[in-house]
Amino acid sequence: MGENSDGLAAFEDDILHCSRCGSCRAACPLVRALSRESAGARGKISLLEALLKGELESSSRLGELMAQCLLCGACTSVCPQGVRTDGMILAAREDLSRRGLMPPTLQAFGEAVGENRNISGEDNEGRLIWAQNLEGGLAVAEGTSVEVLHFVGCLGSFFPSSYRVPQALTRILGTAGVTYDLLGGEEWCCGYPLLMIGMVDRARELIEHNVEVVRERGVSSVVMSCPSCYHAWEHLYPQVLGEEVGVEVLHATEFLDSLIEKGRLPLGELPMRVTYHDPCDLGRKGGIIEAPRRILKAIPGLELVEMADHGENSLCCGGGSNLETYDADLMRQVSGKRLEQALDTEAEAIITACTQCERTLTAAARKERARVRVMDITELVWKAVQAAREAEMA
Amino acid sequence: MRADAVGLSEDALEELRELLGEDRVLTSPEELICHSFDATSMEHRPDAVVLARSTDDVVDIVRVAHRERIPVIPRGAGTGLAGGTVPIEGGIVLTLDQMKELLEIDIDNLVAVVQPGVVTEDLQRTVEAKGLFYPPDPSSLTTSTLGGNVAANAGGPRGVKYGVTGDYVLGLEVVLADGRVLRTGGKRIKDVTGYDLTSLFVGSEGTLGVITEITFRLLPLPPARRAVMAVFPRIEEAGQTASRIIARGIIPAAMEIMDKVSVRCVESYLKMGLPVDADAILLIQMDDEEEVAERHMVQVAEICRECGADRVELAHTDLEIDALWVARRSVTAALAAVRPHKIGEDISVPRSQVAPMIVRIGEISRKHDLPIAIFGHAGDGNLHPNVLFDRRAEDEVARAYAAVGDIFQVAIALGGTLSGEHGVGLSKGEYLELGVGPLGVELMRAIKNALDPKGILNPGKIFAEA
Repeated sequence: MGENSDGLAAFEDDILHCSRCGSCRAACPLVRALSRESAGARGKISLLEALLKGELESSSRLGELMAQCLLCGACTSVCPQGVRTDGMILAAREDLSRRGLMPPTLQAFGEAVGENRNISGEDNEGRLIWAQNLEGGLAVAEGTSVEVLHFVGCLGSFFPSSYRVPQALTRILGTAGVTYDLLGGEEWCCGYPLLMIGMVDRARELIEHNVEVVRERGVSSVVMSCPSCYHAWEHLYPQVLGEEVGVEVLHATEFLDSLIEKGRLPLGELPMRVTYHDPCDLGRKGGIIEAPRRILKAIPGLELVEMADHGENSLCCGGGSNLETYDADLMRQVSGKRLEQALDTEAEAIITACTQCERTLTAAARKERARVRVMDITELVWKAVQAAREAEMA
Repeated sequence: MRADAVGLSEDALEELRELLGEDRVLTSPEELICHSFDATSMEHRPDAVVLARSTDDVVDIVRVAHRERIPVIPRGAGTGLAGGTVPIEGGIVLTLDQMKELLEIDIDNLVAVVQPGVVTEDLQRTVEAKGLFYPPDPSSLTTSTLGGNVAANAGGPRGVKYGVTGDYVLGLEVVLADGRVLRTGGKRIKDVTGYDLTSLFVGSEGTLGVITEITFRLLPLPPARRAVMAVFPRIEEAGQTASRIIARGIIPAAMEIMDKVSVRCVESYLKMGLPVDADAILLIQMDDEEEVAERHMVQVAEICRECGADRVELAHTDLEIDALWVARRSVTAALAAVRPHKIGEDISVPRSQVAPMIVRIGEISRKHDLPIAIFGHAGDGNLHPNVLFDRRAEDEVARAYAAVGDIFQVAIALGGTLSGEHGVGLSKGEYLELGVGPLGVELMRAIKNALDPKGILNPGKIFAEA
């Protein structure tokens, strides 16, 4: 990715190893929804092979097909040869974007994100609006006394329905006595939405800025509740920058898991039956599958029921890779499938660890008028902390 | 048999667009590339890809193609292993994977009625939830479509006890080459009213008609499973074991064999503790009432030992059974580490000839200086010799195909045939006569000519160029 790679050519060996067995068709949420060869990995790989061989020209049609991928990584996890389709598609998008061949809606979205430094289009200085009504306000620490820097992410910062997530995390940090800092308007979009469109140069501006301000604050750990921010910081920043970020990057579930393990977070009883939706960037692509489950199992009275596809084999909610911006109907078909799996468990709540998954599944549940709540794990943990307090006071 | 094609005219395309809508007649180079291949390394672009959503759509498409003499290549999920859906003469790839409705599960008659695009595993899961069983289990079952399974008469490990796809087809709806719709068979088990036309279309590889609906026979789901894995120092002992188990009256639900090349490949890939000095491994699965499955497991283990197995493992629970299957299921992935490409054949020999066949393939491997891994279904004599090569090395490609030819010759000499599961397709046409004899080929050609005189249905398949 970026200056330090040779783009699609770096994936020649992966392309060579695709035996066209078609296993990826079964795993791909878009093939399941559309029954189209071009929607899945095998079809896309055949196109990129033809492109590399000079048997196919770059075109806006190719851009549309490459945009039609959630980057959920399900194809790679079932591939007998381990072909890295998601990386290949990112490389192809980068090339197509340079040629102006990615879909105009996505290009325009990318330009706006670069311009506004966030995905919402609002003034980036408003990144801490969610904290306005927080009881006791924010208690940010400074300098070396800071245990973690809380990188909020665009959804938690700007989407009112997602404010609950940074609010819950802030309250939890306060309860556990964790000293934290926030970047406010100095936090810019993590760059992942741009990397996913192939706009690596625009993304680099954001990435370099974020890394610079975090380094300036002198913190050793950054915690984030958005798995996409996490995936970008942990896996893509080093590729784009050509060097390690130099701070510990933690997803909120890892951090909460360690707080619970150290006994810093007393959890009260929550008698409810829940299922857990693994965000693709966190579970399959980040390998963080057990930490959220340990958290759920640590909550007394809570029953966890797994969906048919979970963990490494989790099904994408449809909210990945800007598909919402590019093809909302298709996204809804995919999220409908995931909702069906969740409803099959007869859980009263779907717990996830991603603001985007939460939004997508909430919309799907509303559309189907399903009697199920969708909640971020951070909110659930805060409820358990409150339950512990109430029990103590009673 | 070459289609007497005049090519796909712009007028014909326009007519198809009017009949089906713009979005279902695809001619962009991207869509043509995506429908130019199956699961082999063969490829050829079609002139158009047309998406069918109903039998009426298929009729419309075939009528235009028939009038205009345009090749029509029916395609499900494109997981075939013989080039059967590669549009070698161009024409229209007719995709059926959007016809994926499970129309009926009739518990009283133990049948399921499905559209051709239903994925094999989806049918299995649905009927198993009702305590029923659809046994055919091609290894691509998570992806493959039932229409494709019927057209290829696909089989799998469970063939030894339960037979292949064709053994479960009770009836079909087929669109003929001129667009007429034929219905054969139905929900009845017995039917000898005239020729068995249902069977004629099973395994016809899209050359006689387009299958648009299938009625399958189902079974009750066996309640218990057990498995045995046995390691043999000599391949002959594994072959003897397979025969002796059947001779003692036990028909396992699956009896899989891995030769030494496969075992070594899997071990170096997974490091799961497989004995790399083994000459062969047998994996034998039973399914039945619990006490029967348990008793058979113990008997099978004894037979393995008396035939010379030096390591025998028993699996009682689903978890243990799945663990035993890991090695067998990982063979394909493991082979990729040796060479990036392979020709996976599927010769079928009498059960007693499994060991001699494996020994002879070892000689062929040495002769052509290419690794050949062998695994497959020892229980029914259907073996998958996989010739491993690198298509970037031209001499390896030539040697690989020469090795395949030799394998076919030996299979025939041992009383076997060219294909147990994959079909003839594009890859075995030139060997058809070797497999079925000149009269067999003549009769097959006569049937083809009677049903598709213009030769528009999947041209170039089964029969080599005259």
